[in-house]
Amino acid sequence: MQDTTPKDIGSLSFGLMEPEEYREMSATKIITADTYDDDGFPIDMGLMDPRLGVIDPGLECKTCGKHSGSCNGHFGHIELAAPVIHVGFTKLIRRLLRGTCRECSKLLLTEDERDEFRDQLDESRKLSRDLNDVTKAAIRQARKKDRCPFCGEIQYDIDHEKPTTYYEVQQVLTSEYSQRIAGAMQGDEEEGVERTTPDELAEQTEIELTRVNEILSGSFRPRESQRKAIEKALDIDLTEEDTNKLMPSDIRDWFENIPDEDIEVLGINPERSRPEWMILTVLPVPPVTARPSITLDNGQRSEDDLTHKLVDIIRINQRFMENREAGAPQLIIEDLWELLQYHVTTFMDNEISGTPPARHRSGRPLKTLSQRLKGKEGRFRGSLSGKRVNFSARTVISPDPTLSLNEVGVPDRVAKEMTQTMNVTERNVQDARRFVSNGPEGHPGANYVRRPDGRRLKVTEKNCEQLAEKVEAGWEVNRHLIDGDIVIFNRQPSLHRMSIMAHEVVVMPYKTFRLNTVVCPPYNADFDGDEMNMHALQNEEARAEARVLMRVQEQMLSPRFGENIIGAIQDHISGMYLLTHDNPRFNETQALDLLRATRIDELPEPSGIDDEGTPFWTGYDVFSELLPDDLDLEFTGTIGDEVIIEDGQLLQGTIAEDEVGEFGGEIVDTITKVYGNTRARIFVNEVSTLAMRAIMHFGFSIGIDDETIPEEAQSRIDETIADANDRVEELIEAYERGELESLPGRTIDETLEMKIMQTLSRARDNAGNIADEHFQDDNPAVVMANSGARGSMLNLTQMAGAVGQQAVRGERINRGYEDRTLSHYEPNDLSAEAHGFVENSYTSGLTPREFFFHAMGGREGLVDTAVRTSKSGYLQRRLINALSELETQYDGTVRDTSDTIVQFEFGEDGTSPVKVSSDDDNDIDVEHIADRVLDSEFESAEERQEFLGSKPRPTNLSEHADDRLAEGTEVTSDD
Amino acid sequence: MVDVSQHELVPEHTVLEEEALEDVLEEYNIDRTDLPKIKRNDPALPDEAEIGDVIKIVRDSRTTDQSIVYRLVVE
Ligand SMILES: [Mg+2]
Ligand SMILES: [Zn+2]
Ligand SMILES: [Zn+2]
Repeated sequence: MQDTTPKDIGSLSFGLMEPEEYREMSATKIITADTYDDDGFPIDMGLMDPRLGVIDPGLECKTCGKHSGSCNGHFGHIELAAPVIHVGFTKLIRRLLRGTCRECSKLLLTEDERDEFRDQLDESRKLSRDLNDVTKAAIRQARKKDRCPFCGEIQYDIDHEKPTTYYEVQQVLTSEYSQRIAGAMQGDEEEGVERTTPDELAEQTEIELTRVNEILSGSFRPRESQRKAIEKALDIDLTEEDTNKLMPSDIRDWFENIPDEDIEVLGINPERSRPEWMILTVLPVPPVTARPSITLDNGQRSEDDLTHKLVDIIRINQRFMENREAGAPQLIIEDLWELLQYHVTTFMDNEISGTPPARHRSGRPLKTLSQRLKGKEGRFRGSLSGKRVNFSARTVISPDPTLSLNEVGVPDRVAKEMTQTMNVTERNVQDARRFVSNGPEGHPGANYVRRPDGRRLKVTEKNCEQLAEKVEAGWEVNRHLIDGDIVIFNRQPSLHRMSIMAHEVVVMPYKTFRLNTVVCPPYNADFDGDEMNMHALQNEEARAEARVLMRVQEQMLSPRFGENIIGAIQDHISGMYLLTHDNPRFNETQALDLLRATRIDELPEPSGIDDEGTPFWTGYDVFSELLPDDLDLEFTGTIGDEVIIEDGQLLQGTIAEDEVGEFGGEIVDTITKVYGNTRARIFVNEVSTLAMRAIMHFGFSIGIDDETIPEEAQSRIDETIADANDRVEELIEAYERGELESLPGRTIDETLEMKIMQTLSRARDNAGNIADEHFQDDNPAVVMANSGARGSMLNLTQMAGAVGQQAVRGERINRGYEDRTLSHYEPNDLSAEAHGFVENSYTSGLTPREFFFHAMGGREGLVDTAVRTSKSGYLQRRLINALSELETQYDGTVRDTSDTIVQFEFGEDGTSPVKVSSDDDNDIDVEHIADRVLDSEFESAEERQEFLGSKPRPTNLSEHADDRLAEGTEVTSDD
Repeated sequence: MVDVSQHELVPEHTVLEEEALEDVLEEYNIDRTDLPKIKRNDPALPDEAEIGDVIKIVRDSRTTDQSIVYRLVVE
């Protein structure tokens, strides 16, 4: 129990581990590569030593005495026969080698320089900048020194051969020095260099003549000063590059001598990390719990990749020691050393470029330490930031227009699997008993109960009746999901807040989640096989939060553009258009039928009496029944007419996309902002049901005949196209005669292309216009295009007129064969036909060549979407990671986790886009809003004065409670 | 040469007086190094701004008329 007490993290520090620390924390030294003996028992001081922890249930840990599950395991250690470099620190090692003296190990910076970099470090820490910039600059400065400012030793360049080999590059006396000197003394007549005698050389270099002769004969190697003198006198170079490999043990010795105060200048805290600890002499062995072995079906044990790697390390380690004791030649020792380095390197990271990955016998690369952490499936992204959870379900979605937009249809088999914990009290004990007695198979049943003593019992078909009688207050019952429960519903990719919303459960038969079609836009869902996830909430706090903050109706307004993202779509729009466009009349039965799925159960006064004396209701009046009684609105609508609503009565205009649609339908938007989310939800629900009734009343279908045009129109279109082809021919002829004048800033070829494109696109438009003339206003495709339900006039043009020019990369199609697009054409044919102009319409059908060009253009679109989604997904991930820790504080500032200010006020204006006017041109008319609120609130001026208290917000309860609220005479706003 | 700081789209940058700075730091309960930064060679800065000074930037805002931001001059 003690372990589970929550604790605050005071601070974290990162550093290196000392070899002695590895030994201290080790439960045992590992000396043998074997794991289990013939009887299947782990071998002492082997890789599966029982002191490293237990994985088999029932056994006791030899170190801590706990059983598997509660023992976290214990580290062991391997004493390495020779030091090896830790791959994680190769860059830092290189930096230190370059920045410190090869002799005395001091940092190659003078006192003044050190002070400067120390100050820069302090400043960078204060400004929370990247310390690396300073330390890199310090090393760069130190590298410039040829000699150590302290001991005077000459410094050599350090070469780093990835991943773990370091060389010292020295300039040493070449072995052919005598030949080179003799050659230079010969002189060069052509270049005008005179001969040098040994006497002259001795004089110039102040070396004794006998020495000079000895040097010339090659029996004496000149010292460094002598070499320099000769080089200067004869203007030659007597050196060659010599690389001297630095063994890990050399580097360790070197680093051990670096003084503490020197590494401080490089931003390293010497108390926590000494540089020599980057060279491993002891290797920690992870506990068996981190690399459990699995027993296969045939009884054979299969070991973890890490264990395999450790076996390799121990084997080489042993061979190394044996060979060294036997006095093996240096070459063999070095080979073994390199092999040991390779195994330790790949133990930590098996994906280093330039190093062949260690492989399993099957050829599969081993998954070692770094591979466990990295990437999407790695520990961080795969097991910590995101993981699989209980109480979740996933299945295909399908539409159900009878649900409210707040609801979700949950299959009964899902409802029976996922439970809600019910704390049994005096008041719900009857319900609880009923649930338990229904058992796990009957629907509102229960799967588990927990007695007050903490014992958890499974409810089965057999024991449910008995158990139900025992249930008392104080028990817990895990009951099935029932209607009205709140759950979280999600569709990937979760790109914005509205991708995860809370819904109320409606338990239903069959296997799919059901949702109202108006929530498709926020989820970006359709029903072509889309699947969605559901999560059942497991405590009251979460359920309350989801209800108040996450319910669909609370997400009505998008924080992206501040208007409603939920509204009527597709057939709803067509339906509303049919209902209101020509303001048709309905008799009593028809009007009641239209409104039967709404809250309206009594018709208003008839709009008029027709010639036969029967009362009728107009489309406007039917629609107006759904509007709040005091709504006033005036704006320019979808089809360009003025929409006027006065006192909740539609007086003029057609209701279509810009009125009630998703993404900023004016009426939905206004109702949400003025009357609240609950009223808006009711409105959207009712508009969609009314629209469905309306579209069914009129009937709405589309077929191929709706896109065909009369013979006469077809011949006019053919004429237009032929005309365009002629004009293109003329252009090409003019171009070939060299008479075409180029447009400013274009070449002649570009000009020709542009003019052809222009001509052809005009031809397509003309063909479309001719086709359009023959479509009636009641043509279903025209209705959909005009109302904004689906499709555009361009789609219609392409179906009835001509499909038009196909393009790849914004140009006519130019690729394919040499000088032509297809082998069917003459080389260099510039005509419209040869470059992807489709003169047919979709109804008349494309020729094979047209079809091919069309497929080329279509493919580009597909590739673009694929590339765009993957690119934007990556960008989104980066952005989310960068912004995820920013938080708006109670003082209004936006700060990151270290409390540095990012914005002095949220969004630099402290306003929420959802609460601000959605109109760019108009400021928010605060006065007007305040007046309206006060007017509706108070009868007299005194009362109004008396106000200035607070109005209690209605609690956000459930669909049913909300309905009751909204049914009352006065509409209560909840924001 | 064009003086960028006079362009209509460049908001007003002024060096904050020491006392006013104290108030700001107190209001937000921060050190001056916790402020957002601005480089000394930023062309919008007034000539007298020095490293370590705090700049007050007043922007026009559609929603709140004015939006005020402070930045520390660095390097
Ligand atoms: Mg889909
Ligand atoms: Zn243990
Ligand atoms: Zn030195």
